[in-house]
Amino acid sequence: MTEKIAACVEMYGVSKSFGEVRALDAVDFEAAKGEIHALLGENGAGKTTLMNILSGLYRMDEGQIAVEGREVDIHSPQDAIAVGVGMVHQHVELIGNFTALENILLGREGSRWKLDVEARRSSVEELAANYGLSIPLDEQVKTLPAGIQQKVEILKALYHGADILILDEPTTMLTPHEVDVLFTILKSFAKGGLTVIFITHKIQEVLDNCDRITVFRGGRKIDTILREEATRDRLVQMMMGERGMPPEGERPAGPSAARGGHPALSVRGVHTSAKWGVPLKNVSFDVPRGLIVGLAGISGNGQKELAEALAGLIELEEGEVHLGGEDVSGLSVSGRIAEGMSLLPQDRIEEGILPSLSLAENFVLGLHPHIFKRRGVFERETAHALGRKAIAEFNILARNEHVPAAHLSGGNIQKTIVARSVMLAHETGKTLMIANNPTRGLDVMAASFVHGCLRELRAQGAGVLFISEDLDELCLMSDCIVVIYTGEILGSFDGPEYDIYQIGALMAGQKQEEVS
Amino acid sequence: MSLMFDMSLFQLTMLMMAPLIIACLGETIIERSGILNVGIEGIVTLGSVTGFLLTYYSGSAVIGCLVAALSGSVLTLLLAYFSITLRANQIVIGLGIFVLGLGISPTIYRLAVGVVQSIPQVPTLREISIPLLGGIPFIGEIFFRQNGLVYLSYFLVAAVSFFLFKTPLGLRLRACGENPRAADTVGIDVARMRYGACAVGGLFLGVAGAYLPLVISGSFTDNIVNGRGWLALMLVIFGRWIPVWSFVGALLFAYVDAFQFKVNALPQFAKIIPPQFLLMLPYVFAMIVLVQVARGAESPRALTRPYDREARD
Repeated sequence: MTEKIAACVEMYGVSKSFGEVRALDAVDFEAAKGEIHALLGENGAGKTTLMNILSGLYRMDEGQIAVEGREVDIHSPQDAIAVGVGMVHQHVELIGNFTALENILLGREGSRWKLDVEARRSSVEELAANYGLSIPLDEQVKTLPAGIQQKVEILKALYHGADILILDEPTTMLTPHEVDVLFTILKSFAKGGLTVIFITHKIQEVLDNCDRITVFRGGRKIDTILREEATRDRLVQMMMGERGMPPEGERPAGPSAARGGHPALSVRGVHTSAKWGVPLKNVSFDVPRGLIVGLAGISGNGQKELAEALAGLIELEEGEVHLGGEDVSGLSVSGRIAEGMSLLPQDRIEEGILPSLSLAENFVLGLHPHIFKRRGVFERETAHALGRKAIAEFNILARNEHVPAAHLSGGNIQKTIVARSVMLAHETGKTLMIANNPTRGLDVMAASFVHGCLRELRAQGAGVLFISEDLDELCLMSDCIVVIYTGEILGSFDGPEYDIYQIGALMAGQKQEEVS
Repeated sequence: MSLMFDMSLFQLTMLMMAPLIIACLGETIIERSGILNVGIEGIVTLGSVTGFLLTYYSGSAVIGCLVAALSGSVLTLLLAYFSITLRANQIVIGLGIFVLGLGISPTIYRLAVGVVQSIPQVPTLREISIPLLGGIPFIGEIFFRQNGLVYLSYFLVAAVSFFLFKTPLGLRLRACGENPRAADTVGIDVARMRYGACAVGGLFLGVAGAYLPLVISGSFTDNIVNGRGWLALMLVIFGRWIPVWSFVGALLFAYVDAFQFKVNALPQFAKIIPPQFLLMLPYVFAMIVLVQVARGAESPRALTRPYDREARD
């Protein structure tokens, strides 16, 4: 590269540790005015930590930051705002029961004693129009869809005077169409002279949308390259290092691979009450044996409620749930488990493990009636043997089976839960696995491992209901996909090839007839 | 029936309402910032002993109220230190403050007064009739022929409402109680806001305490507060953290309390109903109303959650 790019943000030798974990190790980074700069790396590579330091949320242990050539001290978000840094967090940081306008004004209300929201409205509207963001300013933020909430947060950052805009995994909550819209907006920002930094782990997004790419791995910066120099293979190599990408795994075969007999799961006309969250409305679908059925939808459209209703945690107002042809609608959770259901919960710390108990004890949970010979007695040796076996077989990083489960990293906790469910399925011949966002927050290796386990269950003839907010992952894994929107099933698609824009349109609430 | 619509009953209602709503407003400010103060009963008790003693020794109720306010603020700041800086469990700390306040107040009283033949008394606050307004029949007689602290309570309902919903600072305070990280990322100092809320809310709790000896009893007794702090805590929920609704709640409870007080004083009822049942009435009423009203009440989202900027989720 011949011409020198004027750096707008420079960070030198930035290090940061959390306890014993070194999250960033002497990282240098710079981004220029008017560019879209991607930070690419796996979960846990340190990209979000670096940006949290730039936006004042974390304090660095060592290092220097300069903005437009001048060295700055950033000790708090206030300092960051003062030098023009604004960050849109992955899970938007807005106040749900304030209006969009109140959220935007918060912290810079424009007057000292009297809150005059109306007086500021015109300037906010003008700003929104300038940047091509249309937002219903008077709606409570919690009633807005994720894509709009994100725009509120972007507008908030701009209102607070950001000319360095950081977006952390901005596309995870959006439909493919919304992603296109977002990048069109970001490109116009960059053209207008803003510095846009976006954090992602998706290579395709980087190739499609940015000017330069900085790749992180294991808390270190690998390199910064121009878009023209980047290829998919090169980025993979930089991201994954020596390990390379995990093997892709078997592609889904499509619905024709279904095995005969009663479907593993059959849901008929299920309704639930609004007191449990998003009410389910007339939900019907099948999960045949030997298939992975993906459930697509933007977070908070009833996925959690559906998983809980199937597991028996939420009572049905109407409708039936059949497992392998048996009506289990009236059964309790344990009754359904006995009938062949297995559940991978979404929130692994809250619902998945017993944090202060040892790994071995966590493994035994649920398996105990099958492996303990005497009823009502905890057989320590059997449990420990099981723990050792699971740690070895599932490649869990833990000193031994006596370590409390909470001491493990997120990825290893998830492996623990998956290992338990898979072992249970083997032991008891489980016929249905409900996996609710089983790979959220995992690095590529751990996610690939979870995928492998689910594929193995499919190969053994079990049905898998695979719930994920990541459409790419769903397309990779599912034999067919059903789409949920505000508690309703809007349509289904047969694999193994999918049109993500069609699925995305349904995720955004359009009916299938309107799409095709 | 005429008993229930008696003029003096309504006047007594306003008199009983004031300490409830003042304490409730203080607690509302504190909770809106994200701190749950279950030590309220203890803090109000401390306010009543300091308020009483300073009025007794200085002869000025104003000085008594000011010192009571300060003492309430200091004890609430102790809670703030544990909750905000040390990030301790707010329920545990709150219960500790409750027991501390309840225990230290009689101790202060005995140290100051010693063993005496006759119980020290202060003159209770006089009724001040507001010119013109006090002359309005019925309404004026109920609302505008009261002591100064009742008028203060009216003012505070309006002032706290205005502060919470119509000032930038109020918006920021509510933001800290709903989503401290969101507040932090726009440059609001969450710890400072919460300390401020505790300091100011504590003033209210202290005054509410001083009200009891200065208006109702004229003297200090160990259980002078008698659950009014807890009642104020419930009124916050009853009003769903909105001052005007808490005011309505305080009126309701004060009415039942005043009713029980009046009926107990009538000899013809004492034969039929044991006085203990009447004494129980406000609390039974509180429970029934709260069970109905509290259902689905949404507290500030970050209530009881300490904020740590570098916490990773």
